[in-house]
Amino acid sequence: MNLNTQFVFQNKTKTLLIAGMVLGAVCLGLTFFNDDPYHTRFWTNWLHNSVFFTGIAFMSMFFLSFQITAFAGWNSVVKRVWEAMSQFMWVGIILMGVIVLGVWGHFHHLYHWNSTDLNLTDPEAPHYDRILAGKKSFLNPIWFTVGTIGFLAIWYFWAKNLRQASVDQDTMETSEFKYYRIQRKWAASFLPLGGFLSTVFLWQSVMSIDSHWYSTMFAWYSMVSMWLGAISMTVMLIIYLKSLGYLEYVTQNHLHDIGKFLFGISVFWTYLWFDQFMLIWYANNGEETIYFNERMTHYPVLFWGNLLLNFVTPFLILMRNDTKRKFGTMFFVALIVFFGHWWDYFYMIKPGARISAHEALELAEGKHGDSHSSVAPAKQEAPAAPAKEENPVAPAEHAADAHAGEGHAADTTADAHVADAGKHEEAHPVAAEAAAGDHGDGHGGDGHHAVDESKAFKLGYTLPGLEEIGILIGFVSLFLFFFFNQLSKVSLVPLKDPFLEESLHHDTGALIESEEGGHAHH
Amino acid sequence: MAAENTKVLYGLYNDEEVLKGAVKAANAAHLDIMDVFTPFPVHGLDPLLGLKESRLHYLGFIYGATGALFGFLAMTWIFVSDWPTMYGGKPYWSVPAFIPITFEMTVLFAAWGMTITFYTICGMWPGVKAKTLDNRITDDKFCIAFDVTNASDSSVDQLKGFFQNTHAEEVNVKTI
Repeated sequence: MNLNTQFVFQNKTKTLLIAGMVLGAVCLGLTFFNDDPYHTRFWTNWLHNSVFFTGIAFMSMFFLSFQITAFAGWNSVVKRVWEAMSQFMWVGIILMGVIVLGVWGHFHHLYHWNSTDLNLTDPEAPHYDRILAGKKSFLNPIWFTVGTIGFLAIWYFWAKNLRQASVDQDTMETSEFKYYRIQRKWAASFLPLGGFLSTVFLWQSVMSIDSHWYSTMFAWYSMVSMWLGAISMTVMLIIYLKSLGYLEYVTQNHLHDIGKFLFGISVFWTYLWFDQFMLIWYANNGEETIYFNERMTHYPVLFWGNLLLNFVTPFLILMRNDTKRKFGTMFFVALIVFFGHWWDYFYMIKPGARISAHEALELAEGKHGDSHSSVAPAKQEAPAAPAKEENPVAPAEHAADAHAGEGHAADTTADAHVADAGKHEEAHPVAAEAAAGDHGDGHGGDGHHAVDESKAFKLGYTLPGLEEIGILIGFVSLFLFFFFNQLSKVSLVPLKDPFLEESLHHDTGALIESEEGGHAHH
Repeated sequence: MAAENTKVLYGLYNDEEVLKGAVKAANAAHLDIMDVFTPFPVHGLDPLLGLKESRLHYLGFIYGATGALFGFLAMTWIFVSDWPTMYGGKPYWSVPAFIPITFEMTVLFAAWGMTITFYTICGMWPGVKAKTLDNRITDDKFCIAFDVTNASDSSVDQLKGFFQNTHAEEVNVKTI
């Protein structure tokens, strides 16, 4: 067995990655100059990729931490990969710092709660918003700063120290538990820190885009999305490093175990994804269902594509035993899942930020009397009544209308409401007239409306455009550049890790006929 | 397990690595191993014995798919045609509400189906008398067994020699 332990970051690879970053920067520039005056497309792209790649670094640390806490032994040979990935949080602080600066300086309108010029939380002001006033103590620039870069700094401190303890271990004479115990202290204390603070991080940076909406499942769901990003990235990096001749002691058995994580956590993600949907669908509160109604009606490809990429593909392909042991198949699935969770974050961020920005624009131009046309305040209940009289339909659907705070918030089921949706289209002009002047709903009125514009098909929002793909390549290059640089600084194998022997002889016991039986038995 | 009244020659080993070495030696000498018994699954033993991958999971998939279909169609039938019930103003055919039951049915069918299939294949029904070579093979001993019902004396001696060479702790004969 050849323990080739020193990774060399080739100049050729560096050049390629720098080219990727330049491409990303050019695409970011293109999205900056070709959009609304608030440059929403640029800012959403920045936020989207910053959160996603920082999240991958964070979840690498989390993944590693709970394995160390659980005395897992199989993973020693791939530990250094996660240690290097987690150091990217340092870059994440800068990336998220730009967003934080934007919040303080009002460079962007990603967050509706940050429109301080409108005095949203002042009961006397014309744009007073009861919901945002209630959330004022949490949705404010100070908390945003603490909840994003503040927490990232804490995590990075832990990640740095955990890695340091692991690197110091290499200097030991024998494989004792001295440094492993230090690692365990950092790892175990990171679990509550990472678990609890990540929810706040995600509420602040992603969920508060839809500032009227909230979901108790959101942080779980988006955290697991990051985790899958990290797992699929790990799979691809390990296979890439093996193709270069490194990590030859990482066998199909290690890949098999990571593959089980990829499979299992994908199912877990689906569970959370569906749970968030079903709880909101069942409760049928106007402020909550509007979130899904918006996305399923105007972003169907994003919505259903999410499920296809992140559940159907890994579930059906990785269900078999042997697909988790084939490098080609695993790389393919990991690539899809990685893109899928990037897509997932795209779905979480883009539609909401688009609506906030359009609202902000309309308000700035003084066209609206109401500050939140996309979210239903209680007074908009009026449309339900005329809709009922005009269209005698099944009793179930009538009741749905009556229950919802707003007429079209009721139809949230996946497929059963084609007829129902048609009914609303028909009924709405009447409804809008009935409630005319009372609210600036996009269905009636003067034809030039924020909500209408924000629902039309547009690349970069409805679907990722070419620029978005370029930006993805740019951020991947940035991540990899940093990763390879970190990886080349220390030994690729924790040579004195007390579990190294166990890891080198790891065997899942899986029986695959086509395989040669030659994996590391002694 | 073999048929009734099988005469078995078996050796007991203390360690799974010694056992794996012995199986390799038996393969090299072209000895026909009847079965190997271990107190826990020994990784890497199956390929040495030339065992094929189990096909149980194919059935598991079929059972699961059947359960999913059954759960979904049953819910559809109950809540749409047999006993239409309105919950919270939802339509009768409310797919999201059926998903949890569909999931549970998938798990139930797959689990029961595979368990029953496995027991049937192994002939393990209630009341079956256990045919054990040695009680210690469920505790801390690793056993290699040869069928010697129709074996000549010389081949039995050869097998005994094999056990001695591969450091078996003890060698016994038993008819089961």
